[in-house]
Formats: sequence, structure tokens, C-alpha cells
Amino acid sequence: MAETSTSALTRGTSGSLRYAAGAVTGLGIGVLLASLLTFAGVLPTGVVAGVQLLDLLAVVLGAGALAMIGVGAASSVGLLDTTPDHTAGTSLAAVFGIVGFVAGCLVAAQTLGLATLWPLGGVAGAALGVGLALVPREDVALAATGGGFALVASLVVLTGVIDSGWSWQPNGLSVVFSAGTTVPLLFSVAGLLLAWVGSQAIAGFGTQGRARGASLLVSANAAGMIALLVVLVSFIAVRGWGPMTEGVRYGLFWEPLTWFQVPIWEQWVIVNAPTIWFYWPFAMEGVAISNPVNGVAPAIVGTVWLVVGAVTFAVPLGVGTAVFLTEYAEQGRITALVEIATNGLWSTPSVVYGLFGLAFLVPRIGNQSTLLSGMIVLGFMLLPLVVITSREALLNVPDEYRDASAALGVSRWETIKTIVLPAAMPGVITGTILGVGRIAGETAPILLVLTGEPFPAEGPDLLDFSAGFTSSFPFVEVSAINPDALLQSATALPYQLFATITAGVGDVSEGFRWGTALVLLLVVMSFYAVGIASRIYFRRKLDA
Amino acid sequence: MSTETGLSGRMGGVTDAGHVGGLVLVTLLATAVTFFLAPGFVVYPLAAVVVSVAYGWLADEATTARTLALAATVVTVLVLGLIMIYLVVRSLPAFRTMGLGILTKTDGALWAPSEAVYSLVPMMWGTLVTTLIAAAVAAPLGVAGAVFISEMAPGWARNVLKPAVEALAGIPSIVYGFIGFTVLNQFMMDEFALPDFGSLFVVGGVIGAMALPTVVSVAEDAITSVPGPMKDGSLALGATGWQTTTDVTVPAAFSGISAAVLLGVGRAVGETMAATVILANVTELPDPLYDVFGNTITLTSLIASQYGIASGLQMSALFAAGVVLFVTVLGLSLGSQYIERRMQRKLGGSE
Repeated sequence: MAETSTSALTRGTSGSLRYAAGAVTGLGIGVLLASLLTFAGVLPTGVVAGVQLLDLLAVVLGAGALAMIGVGAASSVGLLDTTPDHTAGTSLAAVFGIVGFVAGCLVAAQTLGLATLWPLGGVAGAALGVGLALVPREDVALAATGGGFALVASLVVLTGVIDSGWSWQPNGLSVVFSAGTTVPLLFSVAGLLLAWVGSQAIAGFGTQGRARGASLLVSANAAGMIALLVVLVSFIAVRGWGPMTEGVRYGLFWEPLTWFQVPIWEQWVIVNAPTIWFYWPFAMEGVAISNPVNGVAPAIVGTVWLVVGAVTFAVPLGVGTAVFLTEYAEQGRITALVEIATNGLWSTPSVVYGLFGLAFLVPRIGNQSTLLSGMIVLGFMLLPLVVITSREALLNVPDEYRDASAALGVSRWETIKTIVLPAAMPGVITGTILGVGRIAGETAPILLVLTGEPFPAEGPDLLDFSAGFTSSFPFVEVSAINPDALLQSATALPYQLFATITAGVGDVSEGFRWGTALVLLLVVMSFYAVGIASRIYFRRKLDA
Repeated sequence: MSTETGLSGRMGGVTDAGHVGGLVLVTLLATAVTFFLAPGFVVYPLAAVVVSVAYGWLADEATTARTLALAATVVTVLVLGLIMIYLVVRSLPAFRTMGLGILTKTDGALWAPSEAVYSLVPMMWGTLVTTLIAAAVAAPLGVAGAVFISEMAPGWARNVLKPAVEALAGIPSIVYGFIGFTVLNQFMMDEFALPDFGSLFVVGGVIGAMALPTVVSVAEDAITSVPGPMKDGSLALGATGWQTTTDVTVPAAFSGISAAVLLGVGRAVGETMAATVILANVTELPDPLYDVFGNTITLTSLIASQYGIASGLQMSALFAAGVVLFVTVLGLSLGSQYIERRMQRKLGGSE
């Protein structure tokens, strides 16, 4: 009894089938990866070990296709222990139908050149696709489509239907498909299809097979997302690292640390000390003719001030709104309205914020591009995110906390101040940091309200500690910030990157662009890293 | 404490120290009015606000805090109103000159500032095409990613993938645009023999990749919020994990997933820098219309590429483009919020 139930559970995973189908899946995945690399130009299409790479891939693909057809045939005559369904199912039929329709339309319109009758080709293709999915048993249908498509793709290349001189320009599209790009694309589709069908065969088709196939596709998609991130970041890192670190010098030096004149002795006393000396021109210099290495320091300073300004503007407003909505206002129509407003603000395009700043802030503040306008516009952008995350954090504070505090006779505001806000702080902080990461990389709004000269030599000089008397009201001037710098245009990292693109090649070197991109990416990613890490930290602390 | 109801009750309940809240409110109001009418003098009422808040904090901390929180709420709502008002007011001249033609004119010159002809049709077409391509990329891949993270991934994969998706959302759009401009455009010209730099196809693909994280994270939230007992019931009947996902979890979360897709589409519609940098920004319709490898301009890239050279009526036409954008995205946002609310009610009821 135990014997039979075990064999029923492990059906389809028995020896030969597992090996054959596993090999098909492996070949499919291999062809997929190799084709993608070829398409991206990483692998050369030339001769590898005496054979053209694409021919080699075609042979591998053909072998996989034949193996798959073999597995399907063996399964259909009952040689293999599989559990296929009667048909491949309606959802697959829908997919095949759409693919068949598109392919049929293309063939009819482009290859056969039918002027008005091209939908007929589409209908024929769709009928073929649906028929293929619904008429034969599942194992036959899958083997025929997956294996068949791969076999056709392989034969198309091996028989020279598509050779190196082949090219195709679809009617009405200004694109030309050449063999160098079409074949890898065709092979990657065929490889993916083969791997999918093969993985279904491993589990013996049927319900288990479908789960296995879906899991392969979905995992491949997730792997693709990771790959996208890695490729994007490493692409910029590799190109930008050299220019960014050019001319970095550092060391330990014996240097005069301070010197002063002794009053009566009238002698200079110089105190020497070892100092760490670090010079990083790309991050410490602006753009000037006299500089051996041009840098992005003004843009870094500008970005920092923008972020500081936006945070001081948005966080009090956002947290205040969230506190009012959660703690004071009763949940009703007004809260719903504010919620709708914040969500609407959150999805408002960044360039619309820029237009708003141009129409509302610029005429009121200095009548030109100013740092202050940039800060406020970015603050407006940050505001909805702060409201949403703070609100969520406040709502997540258990009501027991509030009740316990109220039971002790603590007033509502004292409860909010000492119990609710501290408990909600982690959520507010992480949300804000993530939002800051987003606005630090925003270009469109500051394009309209902040920027002037694209490559200044110096950044905004905002800190200015001074005190003095003036002739006008209020007569005493004690300042920590320099209002003039607030009312002047500035630059920021994302704008600088935009300017390097639009300024043309002559103005800045290629390395400067990639260096700027890398610095921008580093700044933004560090905000995200801090935000994500602090969220994980707080969550662990809460769970513990 | 919480017996008062309504706005008047809440504000009027502070009878003893009502003057504190009133004082703060009055100074805040004065600041706002000054900023509207005479922005140069805004420093003085602002100083009055600081003084009155400081006084209020000392005299009656609770009322002051509540008043400030109320003021913050009003400002937040006000911002949306101000955005709408200023966009519409500044775009009125263009609408008045062109009439409805600004949205429908398709023949003759479409965008000729010298002749005061402004038609937004090429921009709307460009936005539509890029958004469709982006949605075709982001919706299926994003939903699949969300299903993977919430239903299928082992713990370690989830711990890798969730931060990765968030980091992907953090890559600035200008960086995507930069890579699209330097690498993808060149690649398309070399390998696919495109006649000119930039194409709707590339922009759509890039924007799709950029909208992907939005779709993933919102759809993942929706799938995770499906009550566990629903899934347990399906699994207890002998369904496989995948059958449960396709037949129970995803249908239950369907409205949340569609809200996620709508939000992603909204992101794609409003995406500016990538489109501006990658496209050639020609203010003509592609010929033929369905030539996705051709060039045109989007609503966002119109604003970003022409704001510097525009004034007068042309500027007003840019604001008109902003209005179209704003209305579209606000509609998408409202739609997704409505769907999400309905889903919460549905799932909340069954919990």
C-alpha cells in the first residue's frame, strides 16, 4: 500500500523522463542566456572553436527540440509515466491564439503583401494556435509547439533561410531587422519556450507540470529584474569609476596645524601635527579652465541644500497633516478628501510640479530661477510621501497605547507627544529617507525653477555666520544663512547630468558624464540603502 | 476629550485658551495673504508666526500643536488646489486661441509658434504610444514579479528581491535617460538601422522598466493582503500552490493588481527626463502613425524641451500640455484609489 502511494506521488519524476526533460530544460536555458548575451554584443557572433556561434546555438537548439519531441512522443504512446491533461487548457489556448493572430497578420500583410485581406491571415493563425492548444492531448500539444518552434528556429538558421546577409524591413516601420539581431531574438524566445515545456515534462505534465513551468517563468522574470539592476548599476560604475576617482591623492603629512603670534614675544609659534590629507578633485572642484580635473562639487553642494530645504519644508507639514488626520479629525468625509488629495499629489508628474513652481513661486521669489524655489518645489513633491508614510506609521501604533495613556489621565497632546509620535518615528524616518532618495534624483521640476549656468565653478554658499548692525528694520542682523545664496540659481547633480547630455559632446568629456552619473547614482542609492537598512533594523527590533 | 464633533466643535472646544490657537491662525493667514499679494514682505508676518507660535507653545502647548496640525492639513490640500488653479489659469490663453483644436487639430501645421498654431495631438499620440508599450512591459512582468515575491519565493530570494526592486525604483530617471541616450539609441541605430536618434519604441521600453517597481510593490501589497484562510481552504482541497495562486489569490487580489497597473501607467504617463533625453522631440506625428520606431514628442518632453525658449502664448501652450497630463494622471490615480478602496471593503468583509 505504502509502495503504490509513493509511486503515485513521484510519478513522472522517474529516471529516464527526468533526465531527458531536464536536459531539454537545461539546453533551453543555455540557449536563452547565450542568445541574450549575443544580442547584447557581449558574445561575439564570429567563429568560436571553428564554428559560427549562431550555427552552434542552432545545433544545440535543434538537439533540444528533437529531444523534446521525443519525450512528447514517448509520453503520448505511454512509454513514460506521465499524467497529461486532455488538452493544454484554455488559458494557453488564449495565449497561442493571440500569438497566432499576430503572426498570421504579419505574414499576410508583410510577406504575402495582402492589402485589405490581412486580417484573414490573422484569423487563420489564431485558429491554428487555438487548435494546437485544444485538440491534441497536453503532452503532444506542448511538445509540438515548444519543440516544433525550436526546431523551426534551428532549421531556419541551419538551412540558410536566414543567413548573414538576410534583412527585413517591415512595411511602414522605419526599422530594419538584420540577421545579427533577429537570430538571437528568435533563439532566446525558442530557448525560453523549450525550457518552459521541458520543465513541465520533468514533472510529468498535468497539474504538477503546469506549476513547475509557471515557477520557471516567474523565477526567470525575478532573476531578470535582479539582472537589470546589476547591469544598470555596474554599467555606470565601470564607466564612471575611472573619471570619478581621477587625481585622487591622499596621505599622512606633517603639517602646520595652527599658528599664532605671542603678544610680548612677538614671535610666531607654529604647532605641527600629522594630518590626513585627502584630495578628490571630482568631488571637490567645480568646472573651470584652470582645473586639471573638472568636478561636480557645486552640483553636490546644490543637491545637498535642495534636499535639506525640501526636508525642512515637507517633514513638519507632512507629519503635522498626518497627526491631524489620525489623532484629531474623525474618520469621515474630510479625511477621505485629504487622503484623495495626497494620493493625487503623489502621482502628479514631476514636470507638472515644475510648471506649478514656474507659475506660482518664481514670480514671487526673486522673479528668476532660485535655490529657494527649487527647495519648495521639491518639498511639495516630498510632502505627499511624508503624509502617506507618517499616516501609515501613526495608524500602526496600537490603540492600546493611547488608551493606557488616557487611562492614566494624560492629556491627548501629551499622549501624542510622548507615546504615539515616538512609536511612529521609525516609520516616518524610513519613509522620509526613501522619499528623499526619490527627490534627490528628480530633474524635471528643478529644470524649470532652479537652474541657471550648467557648469558653475562654485556651489551655493549658504552657510554664513555673521552678526552686525544695519540701517534698516530690524537694525540688528544676526544670520546663519546667506539669503543671497537662497535667491540665486544653483545647479544639482541630476541637472548637471542632463546638461552634459544636452550640451553636446564638445563641452564636456565622455568621462565627465559617466562620472557625474555615478556620483548621482551613489548619492541616491545611499539614501535608499540607509532607508532600507533602517527599516530592516526597526522591524527586527519590533519583532524581537 | 473626544466628545466634541465637527470642525467647529474641535476648534471651539478650546474655550479657555482659544486666543492662542486664534492668534496662531491669524498670523498664519496673514502670512499666506502676504505671500499672495506682496511676497516681498512675507518675512514680517512670518516673524509674527514664529513669535506667536513660541508664545502659544509656552501658554498652551496642546492647542498650539493642534492648530499647527490643522494648518499643515490645510496647506497640503491647498497645494493640490493651487496646482490645479495655476495650471488652468496659465493655460487659458492657449485654449482661448486654439479652441478645442488644441486637442483635435491633426492637419496642416501642428506646432508652429511663429503662426500661433499649437496642437497637442502629436504629444498626446507620443504619450499614448510610449505608455502602451511601457504598460505592455511593466504590467505582465510586474505582476509576475509580485506573485513571485509574495507567493513563491523562498525567504532568501524575497530578502534579495524586495530591496532590489526598491533600489530599482530609486535609480533616477535621468540616469535611465542617459543610458538610453548613449547606449540604447546608438545600439538601435547600429543594429536596427533606425534613420534617426531615438524612437518611441526605446522610450516605451525604458519607461516600462522604470514603471516596473511601482507595479511590483503595489501588486505585492495587494496579493499579500489576501486573507490566509482563503488560500488555506484551496490548499486543503488538494490544489497545488500554483492552482491556488491562479484560481484564488490572484482573482481575489485582482482589483488591487489592476490598481497597481493603473499606478504604473500613471508613472509612465508622467515620466519626463527619459523621454526628453531619448526622443528627438520633433513636434510632428510619426509617418505612418503606427511607426513605433519613428520619432515624435510626448507631453512631458514637450514641456522639458521647450520651457527655455518659450514665452507668451507658447508658454501657455506648454501649460496646456501640463493640464492634459495632470488631468490624465489624476484620473488614473482616482481610478486606482477607487478600485483599491473597493477591494479593501471586499476583503475586509470576508476576514
